[in-house]
Amino acid sequence: MFSTPLLDIELKLNADIGEFAGWQMPMKYTSYQEEHMAVRSSAAFFDISHMGRLKVSGKIDEFDYLIAKNFKSSQNNKMVGPTAFLNDKAGFVDDVMTYKISDNEFLIVTNAINREKVINWIKKNSSLDVEDLTFKYVMIAIQGRRVWDYIEKIELQPLEFKLNTKFLGEDVFLVSRSGWTGEDGVEVWGTPEVIAKIIQRLVARGVKPAGLICRDSIRQEMGFVLYGEDIDENITPLEARYWVFSLDKDFIGKERLIEQLKTGVDKVRVGLKLKKGERSIPRKGNKIKIFDKEIGYVTSSTFSPYLNRVIGMGYINSKHALFGYSVDIEIRNKLVEAKIQDFPFI
Amino acid sequence: MAEIIVGGKYRILRDRYYTETDEWVLIENNIGTVGITDYAQKKLRDIVGVELPEIGREVKAGDAVAVVESIKAAADIYSPLSGKIIDINRKLVDSPELINKDPYGDGWIFKIEISNKNEIEKLLSAEKYSELIKQKEGLV
Repeated sequence: MFSTPLLDIELKLNADIGEFAGWQMPMKYTSYQEEHMAVRSSAAFFDISHMGRLKVSGKIDEFDYLIAKNFKSSQNNKMVGPTAFLNDKAGFVDDVMTYKISDNEFLIVTNAINREKVINWIKKNSSLDVEDLTFKYVMIAIQGRRVWDYIEKIELQPLEFKLNTKFLGEDVFLVSRSGWTGEDGVEVWGTPEVIAKIIQRLVARGVKPAGLICRDSIRQEMGFVLYGEDIDENITPLEARYWVFSLDKDFIGKERLIEQLKTGVDKVRVGLKLKKGERSIPRKGNKIKIFDKEIGYVTSSTFSPYLNRVIGMGYINSKHALFGYSVDIEIRNKLVEAKIQDFPFI
Repeated sequence: MAEIIVGGKYRILRDRYYTETDEWVLIENNIGTVGITDYAQKKLRDIVGVELPEIGREVKAGDAVAVVESIKAAADIYSPLSGKIIDINRKLVDSPELINKDPYGDGWIFKIEISNKNEIEKLLSAEKYSELIKQKEGLV
């Protein structure tokens, strides 16, 4: 089991620590609902140090071939993502954020559960060098509807992308204007020392600490997928409706993707919205039904404090992709009505 | 001392009885008020829904009578005693988070008219329940 190096400062902020993807991480501080509303109305920060941080060096053509989006034609000091590494069946090896530093240096942020798999997969499929920076730096995301008010207050300049900058006299490795919340914000990689100082400043300025439960409810409102729940090695970007590829270049899995574009998909990822007042939460694997016919399954669900209702997502047979129609979800031997709808929910 | 604190964070009140499945029952005359313990609400994390029993229902000790839905899991709530459900906490329908905020007070779930007082001696005292939590948490 790994543990975030920011644990001490987070425990002082009353973090409720739990396990995610083999990491001890803050699950919540007060309640995930308060944290969620802070992201949607002001600002909050998340410790996301569990995510894999890799530096790749070598020929850009080799790296470009691994990635489903056009990486090579990107400018330096730009983020390319979200994109994905696909297997030869076009299933997800991982969905990732990538950064082009120069023509021979690249960064990747992987899902925590896939860090080692991605390192091995890159080595197997290329002659690129991979350096694992996951344990050298920590990573936080500062996110929210009014995030710039706070970021300017802590004098962390509103940067689109900056490498090796100084903050409070210490090294910040990366600042990137990105996140996973649907709100504006930045993600920052730095040593635990400098990030702890940034956290202290954020808290002093009223930015709420938020945990991974909130991160999960926030991403579901946007319809963002979580690896291991909504996508895996057997799901393609077409089935997930996750537009992480460009067909104007070559990459692993492209042939299968084109084949599937021609034949069409058997199942498709959709949003599910329960009625107001319904407080049963569908769980992963719960069946989706029309009458007594099983047409799909749930992959994620949560209670959205912003919408004040239960939302979720899952896969249904594409013949039943009837957006706007209400189907049933079998939750603990009970049928609960849910409307099929597109993303985002908000 | 009116309460025991286990593992630095789980509160257990001395004025009531407990079950191995983490319910508490506060007994006044022949009425028992039932809820879930501080330990249970912390383990479930954020509670977002509660299914309450019907008033008038006759239940046996150990029957599943309510469901607490948290962001993590759905948990059955078992009646600690046999009897008739005579009241339910309707505030939980719109504010299930009361269980997180005040598990031993405003977060109560139902009241039962106790039909067999002999069952009370099978329940756990605060001390015994605190030993159980220590075992569950690997503190002994």
